Amino acid sequence: MSEDILLIVIKVAVLIVILLTVVAYTVYVERRIMARMQSRIGPNRVGPFGLLQPLADILKLIFKEDLTPAGADKVTYFLAPALAAITGLAAFAVIPFGNTIDLFGIKVNLFIADINVGLLYLFAMSSLAVYGIVLAGWSSNNKYSLLGGVRSSAQMISYELPLGLALVSVVLAAGSLSLGDIVKAQANLWFIVQQPLSFVIYFICAIAETNRAPFDLPEAETELIAGYHTEYSSLKWALFFLAEYMAVITVSATAVTIFFGGWQGPFLPGWLWFVIKLSGFIFFFTWMRATLPRLRFDQLMRLGWKVLLPLAALNLVVIAGLVAAMGG
Amino acid sequence: MSTEVKVVSPAPMTVATPLKDAAAVAARINEKFANAASVVDGSLMVDSSQLVAVATLLRDDPGIGADFLEDLTSIDWPDRFEVVYHLYNLTRQEGPLRMKVRADKADPRVPSTVPVWPGADLMEREVYDMMGITFAGHPNLKRILMWEGFQGHPLRKDWKEAYFEEEKKPFDQRWPEGALVRAENRTPFKDNIVLPSGFDPTKYTPPAEDNVPLVEYNQPLSGEMKSQTLIVNMGPQHPSTHGVFRMRVRLDGERIVDLQPVIGYMHRNHEKIGERNAWLMNMPYTDRLDYLCSMGNNFGYAIAVEKLMPDIKVPERAEYLRVIMAEFTRIVNHFFALGQLLSDMGAFFTPMLYAIEEREWMLDLFEMASGSRMMCNYARFGGVARDVPPEFMPLANKLVNDRLPRAIDRFDDYIATSEIVLARAQNVGILTKEQAIALSTVGPVLRASGVPYDVRRAEPYSIYDRFDFDIPIGTVGDVYDRYLVRIAEMRESVRILKQALRDIPAGEIFAGRKGWQVKIQKGEAYGRIENPKGATGFYVVSDGGTNPYRYHIHAPSFINIGALGTMAKGHTVADTVIILGSVDIVLGELDR
Repeated sequence: MSEDILLIVIKVAVLIVILLTVVAYTVYVERRIMARMQSRIGPNRVGPFGLLQPLADILKLIFKEDLTPAGADKVTYFLAPALAAITGLAAFAVIPFGNTIDLFGIKVNLFIADINVGLLYLFAMSSLAVYGIVLAGWSSNNKYSLLGGVRSSAQMISYELPLGLALVSVVLAAGSLSLGDIVKAQANLWFIVQQPLSFVIYFICAIAETNRAPFDLPEAETELIAGYHTEYSSLKWALFFLAEYMAVITVSATAVTIFFGGWQGPFLPGWLWFVIKLSGFIFFFTWMRATLPRLRFDQLMRLGWKVLLPLAALNLVVIAGLVAAMGG
Repeated sequence: MSTEVKVVSPAPMTVATPLKDAAAVAARINEKFANAASVVDGSLMVDSSQLVAVATLLRDDPGIGADFLEDLTSIDWPDRFEVVYHLYNLTRQEGPLRMKVRADKADPRVPSTVPVWPGADLMEREVYDMMGITFAGHPNLKRILMWEGFQGHPLRKDWKEAYFEEEKKPFDQRWPEGALVRAENRTPFKDNIVLPSGFDPTKYTPPAEDNVPLVEYNQPLSGEMKSQTLIVNMGPQHPSTHGVFRMRVRLDGERIVDLQPVIGYMHRNHEKIGERNAWLMNMPYTDRLDYLCSMGNNFGYAIAVEKLMPDIKVPERAEYLRVIMAEFTRIVNHFFALGQLLSDMGAFFTPMLYAIEEREWMLDLFEMASGSRMMCNYARFGGVARDVPPEFMPLANKLVNDRLPRAIDRFDDYIATSEIVLARAQNVGILTKEQAIALSTVGPVLRASGVPYDVRRAEPYSIYDRFDFDIPIGTVGDVYDRYLVRIAEMRESVRILKQALRDIPAGEIFAGRKGWQVKIQKGEAYGRIENPKGATGFYVVSDGGTNPYRYHIHAPSFINIGALGTMAKGHTVADTVIILGSVDIVLGELDR
């Protein structure tokens, strides 16, 4: 038993280090890809091909002055970025990113916890993430932050509903809330083929959940300066940055797990397949950011409530009917 | 909802133009109001006590129809103030009628014409601020360019700036015998920043209206829900105000109840400096008005001053070169404006950088011709500074015939049909035809509202009467129309450039004697050109000396910003940003 706990602690530590590195390099890769798309060069000065740029950025952020506005609610202002970052990291705990591997004679499962309500846990964590943003917006005592926070809460709550409904239809087909079981259910056929509409709804909502272009309204830099994190600087700001990219990675990983067969694939090891699929999603996120203008807030709300929610509900009813008809 | 851009080709007016005949207009006025108007030096002189009645007549009388107040400024003469109005008729495409009103030196007071021409609002505030003339009946007569605590009126002839040296350049004392003496040690005026009595700058707090708490009013708005309005100062430090520009926005949720532009952060008293400068020294100074259109500003200033130099005939080649540069400037500016607009919509700099890529090629051309990419300083009174090098024409031809048309098409194809752009830009920031005229807007803003008015066609300057081109106009007057009008104008510019590059003759590029000082005859002139941002006017008054007596700039950014409140009301914060982007302002000429 104590060995198990030791193993879990080691896994958690290793995973956090890996995730932080992945986040740092996601930023780097995003900047390079976007520069290419915009006929620029991008960061290429620090290290070969600019590969040390993320380290330089982190160092710079650490040494920046940490400001707290005079009128801010100090405790909340301090807690908000931590809340955002913790929920972002914790959500990754249930995602299986590879098959069981043998390491020094010990069988290691490549996930932290395969709890039987894994999907529900993911939901819970992504819902908690909104608190970080709302509290940051409120406690900064800045009008732009407030507008950003308010926008964000409305947006994330609205888009969580169709997102949930889209995933419930997958759960119906897989017959389990455990992410491990959902991956195994796709051994023969990925759910993207079975339920393409669920995937489209899920992905649109996921972009909105992560506040990325074209739904990046909470931090719309041309309207609200930087939205909810206008007043943040130094490491507190870095935590919001981490949370945002962590959210991108988590929703991408969720999409891979639920719709693209998770770590499963021929020839290559499971974790490599997972990384390849994940990279595809991250590239797609970058591509959209470089291409699309932003929607207006009321248009965003209309899309969520009047288009996506009815569509997701209809999709769920049809899938449920099919599952029942096939005797599932 | 149709958003096609119409293309029209109104013919230049050839009939006798009543607006240019000040004597006839004066006679018509005097029929109704005895002795209200006279003609002095070709300008209509109106008695200030009857100004509003006369202005209403000028606007509404079908025989006169001066419905468009383009410019309003003032002159400080030794014995009197004069307020100068330049009036046009946009439907008959004629003008200008120069109207003047005299004001007393001791207590200058003129009735406000805002009830007749709402566009006079900002211009009257500017005159009040800079010249100290009170406009009785103005709805919001406050300082506009200077700050609220400022003492004095900087454009008056007796006003001296801090570190004042001499009245006119070149300053003799800049070249003393022996060692350098710094201006702050030399001048007796080193402490002449006059503050109000009892004023302590370290304890200054802005006026209450600028310094509002987070939630300001407790009164509920109409409706059942009890809500409060929120005042947000967008700017002066804001990523989308295109410089240090502030919009004071009153919000109900995210909806705009009221919007007021607050300007003057970059004010440097351009006009006063221009009056200290010798005539030619202002040529590079006009570059600094608008960093995107320096070639156009040079052109406009040269045209205005050349009106006071009757002996000068600009050579053919120089005219062609000026037109070529002005049209390239238009393409540069519109590319930049569209890229900026899309960035404001949230397209993360991609269209902006694509636009800048094209702009670089044209800046290469400017560099070849003038030696500078942005601050060109190219025009001279009587020609241009230097001829273009041999490698100019091949590149210009390649751009005009090949690269630019493709780039414009690409810009159009990629963006103009995007659903998100359509959703964001259509029916946002609508300015009707009547509002556009009343608010004195100029340029693409005016044309997108459906008024086919272009100075190049209405009052052809230089050699624009030789070229075949059309004037694109919008149908709705929203942000999307302004966008489409700009794209269509770039295409028309390419058309003009093709003709100009084909027809350009060889020959001289400068008429007259070269030298840093020019002989300008006594008089006044209003020279204007169709700059990319709109009609830019240079009003110069000469007393026959080496320096302008009055040097005034009618800046399109300044005048178009007056329509911002009308356009933004009822829309959201996100819309304000793109409405401002669609107006296309540059702070250098807005604040001067």
